[in-house]
Amino acid sequence: MALNGIQIFKLTPKKNCKECGCPTCMAFSMKVAQGAMKIEQCPHMSEEALASLSEATAPPMKTIKIGTGDGEFSLGGETVLFRHEKTFVSKTRYAVSLCTCMDDAAVEAKLAEIPKVDYERIGERMYAELVYVNCSEGADAAAYTALVEKAAALGRTLVLGCADSEIAKAALAVCKDSKPVLNGANASNYEAMNAVATEAGVVLGVSGKDINELYDTVAALEKLGNKNLVLDVTGADLKETFANAVLVRRAALKDQDRTFGYPSIVNTVKIAKGDVHMQAALASLFTMKYGSIIVMEQMTYAEALPLYGLRQNVFTDPQKPMKVEPGIYPLNGADENSLVVTTVDFALTYFVVSGELERSGVPLNLVINDAGGLSVLTSWAAGKFSGNSISKFIIENVEPKVKCRKLLIPGKVAVLKGDLEAKLPGWEIIVGPREAVQLVKFLKDMQA
Amino acid sequence: MPFNQKPQKFNAKINTVTIGSGDKTVSIGGNSTFPFYSFDAPTANTAKVGVEISDMGLEGASEGIKAYYEGATTMAEIAQKAAAMEGADFVALVLEGGDPNGENKSVEELIAIVKEVADAVDCPLVVEGCKNVEKDAELLPKVAEVLQGRNVLILSEKEENYKAIGAAAGLAYNQIVGAESAVDINLAKQLNVVTTQLGVNAQKIVMNVGSACAGYGYEYVVSTMDRIKGAALGQNDNMLQMPIITPVASETWGVKEASASEADMPEWGPQDERGIDMEIMTAAADLAAGSDAVILRHPQSVATISKMIKALA
Amino acid sequence: MLINRIFSGNDAVFGLTEQAVDGAVRQHGADKAVGFPHTAYCLPCYYSVTGVKVKTLGEMKEALGVIKTLMTREHELNDALMSGVATALCAEFIEALKYLDGAQPYSEPCYGHLADSIIRELGVPLVTGDIPGVAVILGAAPTAQEGVDLIKSYQAQGILVTLVGGIIDQAAELGLKMGYNVRIVPLGKDVTSVIHVVSVALRAALIFGNVTPGDAASLITYTSERVPAFVNAFKPIDDVILAAGAGAIKLGFPVISNEDENIVEVPGALIACPNVADFNKVSLEARNIKIKITNIDIPVAFASAFEGEIIRRKDMQVEFDGSRVDCAELVQTKAMDEVEDHKITVVGPDVDTFEVGSKHSLAYVVEVAGKKMQPDFEPVIERKFHNYINCIEGVYHTGQRDMFRIRIGKEAFNAGFRAKHFGEVLYAQVKNEFEAVVDKCQVTIYTDPAECTRIRHEVAIPTFDKRDARLETLTDESVDVYYSCILCQAFSPSHVCVVTPERLGLCGAVSWLDAKATNELDPAGPCQVITKERVINEDLGSYEDVDEAVQKYSQGALEHVTLYSIMQDPMTSCGCFECICGIEPFSNGVVIANREYAGMTPLGMTFPEMASMTGGGVQTPGFMGHGKHFIGSKKFMKAEGGIERIVWMPKELKDTVADRLNKTAKELYGIDNFTDMIGDETIATDPETLVAFLTEHAHPALSMEPMM
Repeated sequence: MALNGIQIFKLTPKKNCKECGCPTCMAFSMKVAQGAMKIEQCPHMSEEALASLSEATAPPMKTIKIGTGDGEFSLGGETVLFRHEKTFVSKTRYAVSLCTCMDDAAVEAKLAEIPKVDYERIGERMYAELVYVNCSEGADAAAYTALVEKAAALGRTLVLGCADSEIAKAALAVCKDSKPVLNGANASNYEAMNAVATEAGVVLGVSGKDINELYDTVAALEKLGNKNLVLDVTGADLKETFANAVLVRRAALKDQDRTFGYPSIVNTVKIAKGDVHMQAALASLFTMKYGSIIVMEQMTYAEALPLYGLRQNVFTDPQKPMKVEPGIYPLNGADENSLVVTTVDFALTYFVVSGELERSGVPLNLVINDAGGLSVLTSWAAGKFSGNSISKFIIENVEPKVKCRKLLIPGKVAVLKGDLEAKLPGWEIIVGPREAVQLVKFLKDMQA
Repeated sequence: MPFNQKPQKFNAKINTVTIGSGDKTVSIGGNSTFPFYSFDAPTANTAKVGVEISDMGLEGASEGIKAYYEGATTMAEIAQKAAAMEGADFVALVLEGGDPNGENKSVEELIAIVKEVADAVDCPLVVEGCKNVEKDAELLPKVAEVLQGRNVLILSEKEENYKAIGAAAGLAYNQIVGAESAVDINLAKQLNVVTTQLGVNAQKIVMNVGSACAGYGYEYVVSTMDRIKGAALGQNDNMLQMPIITPVASETWGVKEASASEADMPEWGPQDERGIDMEIMTAAADLAAGSDAVILRHPQSVATISKMIKALA
Repeated sequence: MLINRIFSGNDAVFGLTEQAVDGAVRQHGADKAVGFPHTAYCLPCYYSVTGVKVKTLGEMKEALGVIKTLMTREHELNDALMSGVATALCAEFIEALKYLDGAQPYSEPCYGHLADSIIRELGVPLVTGDIPGVAVILGAAPTAQEGVDLIKSYQAQGILVTLVGGIIDQAAELGLKMGYNVRIVPLGKDVTSVIHVVSVALRAALIFGNVTPGDAASLITYTSERVPAFVNAFKPIDDVILAAGAGAIKLGFPVISNEDENIVEVPGALIACPNVADFNKVSLEARNIKIKITNIDIPVAFASAFEGEIIRRKDMQVEFDGSRVDCAELVQTKAMDEVEDHKITVVGPDVDTFEVGSKHSLAYVVEVAGKKMQPDFEPVIERKFHNYINCIEGVYHTGQRDMFRIRIGKEAFNAGFRAKHFGEVLYAQVKNEFEAVVDKCQVTIYTDPAECTRIRHEVAIPTFDKRDARLETLTDESVDVYYSCILCQAFSPSHVCVVTPERLGLCGAVSWLDAKATNELDPAGPCQVITKERVINEDLGSYEDVDEAVQKYSQGALEHVTLYSIMQDPMTSCGCFECICGIEPFSNGVVIANREYAGMTPLGMTFPEMASMTGGGVQTPGFMGHGKHFIGSKKFMKAEGGIERIVWMPKELKDTVADRLNKTAKELYGIDNFTDMIGDETIATDPETLVAFLTEHAHPALSMEPMM
């Protein structure tokens, strides 16, 4: 059982030296308990305290880092099986697959296709972060290395799918500085693969013919001193793969079995080769249930739009709602003379409201200001969506840009009408419907 | 030390609800594990896939969907093609034209369509209202009445109209009551409590605990379903043990990502593909979180999701 | 005497039935089929009560023998009521005989037997309350006009009216439009035709109540609880009608009559009502039927969209201002017979006699009565007045109790808004929103200045004082139950608030009384009763019952919760908390930060940082979210020594809670001006300076037992 902040505090020197960066030892202890800081960051911790704490505060699942610079990603480090218990911390990363079995034209086409999907959604860059380079049976080191080099040129972090230690070594020689994953250790080659991965300083991917063999191989690698691993849980078919993904994660988090306390790789290309729709379904399934890296044949907009949206939702902090940036969002070809509509910056509210507004076809300026990322009534109750905050934003940001002086406010805050009229001279304040679904009709009626 | 696989055993299970009558019925629920966790305990019933058709015919449908229904001109023909879709377990007729803020079709007009569809197919049927609570309170009791004996699932009663719809579907005409709540475990439970207090048999209730399209506040759907399954199995909460049905298509086909034409968003590529993947990915996530049945529109989505369910069984 | 009359009526009907059945058997033979059209329940009443289907005359003859066994003569109430049931069953047989050979014994306007499909159709509006009741009117009214007025009064309320006997001709005589579609159903002119409405009630129990035929006990429970029917019987009431009435009473349907001879009242069942004009009111009250108010009778609109409207001085017709003159708004609980439903009285001059722009006194007293009404709900209802009055188009309300201000805008006034309309709004809203506890409601509006002064000083202020005193004396020990509140679970899944009198919800918005009222109004809702019978530790405030409730409502995420400790199993927080207190180890006390405070605290953490580890329904020993009001409570971290532990608060918060906190400190520890010993951001935002300050002021926490 993890220690709470008070228990950790008791073991600190209680000097408030601030050397860890926290103003007090109490604040530091609370952060350690939350997993936001490591106990070792206290320079004054006694040896005994460290020894007793490190075991207790060590996470059940390791956080493994891959890639470098912008392409550096953390995998794993999860503490719960369900997102409502506590936030999922490390997003699933998606890899587009290349293979030595593909002909040059197909490779070129894929390389050209990958960079096309690169966009922003609620402040997050969406693109295929990883490229999986598979070395199929019979391929030689030169061919594989050439493919790896081509893939590396994309600048995405690589996952090398290669079970031959010699070929792997050759490929790593050209890309190891960008910290790829070497996925290829198994019961028969793990010693050699371990040597290659350790020497190159990269994360090693491990697989097994079944979950027991996977377990034993991980244990053997740990014995060799390598704890920089990811587990390829892909089995012979979907059923086995799903079972592996769940059982590995559950053993680590629920049963505290640290041997399985590593991130996972799910290769949908292996279990649904050529079926891009099935791969789409599986990418979604394994984003929900415990895939750290998911390998797919393609990541076009068709896959990306739903998948990245799903990931963005699943990996949110249940305590901290997603927020959209404050600003003026013109919809349906609005200009400076179009009606002004406002609501809160809570992402869910924004999406629902903007969706309905778009459906209405009426040109309007949707104005969002900082309401603490809360829903309409909650932010109103918290004083964050008030006559003051709305009028201030309108005067400072909207009046210089928009000529229309009609403002539609959510029906749930009808109570703000009078206050807004007083604070926004010259504006007509219109009370909108209470629910977003009524907006289309409301706007239609308003125009009529 | 070898791996010690510890199954997660629950002494509770989700209710089994059978939809349809005669030879062609489907059963949903009945399981005592989290979705697809067949390694913990055997699966009683796999999840089921329904094909959504609308009283509005093929208006607004994507190219791929129109292509599939080519040649079908009447509602009866559309229904037959839907029932024949690869992977389809049931047909879900949505009476969206009843919406007073939309087409505002009359109850009589809609009932005629319901009859036409019901007469055309013998597969299990789900009938969805128009989502307007007042209209549904008027419409769905009539649907329940004209489909007496078919044991259909009526979607759905909500907090605002559960008495009218619950009493008609669940008591007067002995259909299955779909209880719809807005993505909150307590609201879902409360609706089940008041519905059973009306006298509706708990074994004849299916929940729609609210849905969303992936990317659109979907985290609430995940957590609501995770928690409902957790409470149903772990706490043996019999007011949450109703199986869950999720109308996926109606959420996914409306969002910009699925509905924008290729002309408007050339870089996004073909609209049909975007719509399919949005539907498939949302459905797969719903099933992973706890849906015992999903309702889809596109033949490709139906085939893929059905195949995925079977591969996981 | 009454019982004897029922017995004799029953005997008479039984005799007639026996004759009729014997005659029919002689004429048609025992195998002759008998039954009503369009029903799957054979002779529905007999089938419901006994579970046996009667399909032939022979079987009917046998069934008569069974009926005879119901006719016991022990002179107890139940014998009389069972004889009533026997009478009804006999009536069904007599009626069934009319339908032999597919005959159609009833013709316009009478309906006779009603088909199953009508019951299925009727069932839904009965369940939803769209048809709030079923009236059975029997016999002839003193005058046709009185009868028709009565029918119309029910019709206007949406009640389904069935007619038996002379009333049918009376209605026809005055040209009343009758028929199922207008909810007036004439059954037949013979008294036995009343069985057709009984048949509806009993079939409803089988169809909607899943009652097993023959399970007479469940059948009667269903009809008495779920079928809101009642009987209005006009004099003269003969023995046969009386016997039939006994059957109705057995099913739970009260009988209201203007008969005054040879009859005795049976409270709640057989009710004398000399004036036919009062039948409606008396019947609804007896059957506990509540009529939904769908539109409020005022000349302006009423909607939440008008809630935020402000009436400025130049747009104002008149103003009522509690800060200048005597005003008051008040809810008072009364006995049922002290309240006349929907009575609205204006005492004093109306608004149109006031000069434009003038200021006046206003008091309105809403008197409510109800079987489940409790004086504790008065403030809960009263607090909604602000919202109700603000929702009126062109009317503006601020403040509460005797310090409110109301303005009526010129437009509203010109549209016809007058003093009585306050009454209409308050009446309708209170009846609708508090339906679960308010059965009757009347409103008195005072505009007479002297009356306003009287109401304010002699009625309202003493009531407010009494309520405040009750709140003061309301302690955790003085109540039998606490309440859960899970309103916040939408975003904080495992959080459960345990609301006690001395510890309101951590959002500061839900008091124990609010939770109690919420529970009464919405029994399946977010506030549920938590018993506190099995104490584990009085000091910590831990109870087995509370633990069980918390486990249940958190779906197993929480196992133990203490009410008075922040160190051991502290209560969880959702995220809505007004304040967080956290342990400050160097001074051996706690620091409290409120949501509005943006700066640093001596813990080295800001409010948002503390919030991030305290919210989300997780237990974080040493930290706890709570409401502002809790700071002055004697139960505030009682397990760790109470409010003496408080060493620091933001200045603004300290000023807000100073009075209560100092009072409690004086009472508990004899400390004067305790807040002077407590640090704030102007004194210290780091532990060292804080401890120096506390030492200088000899803060008690420094010398208390270590907290950890």
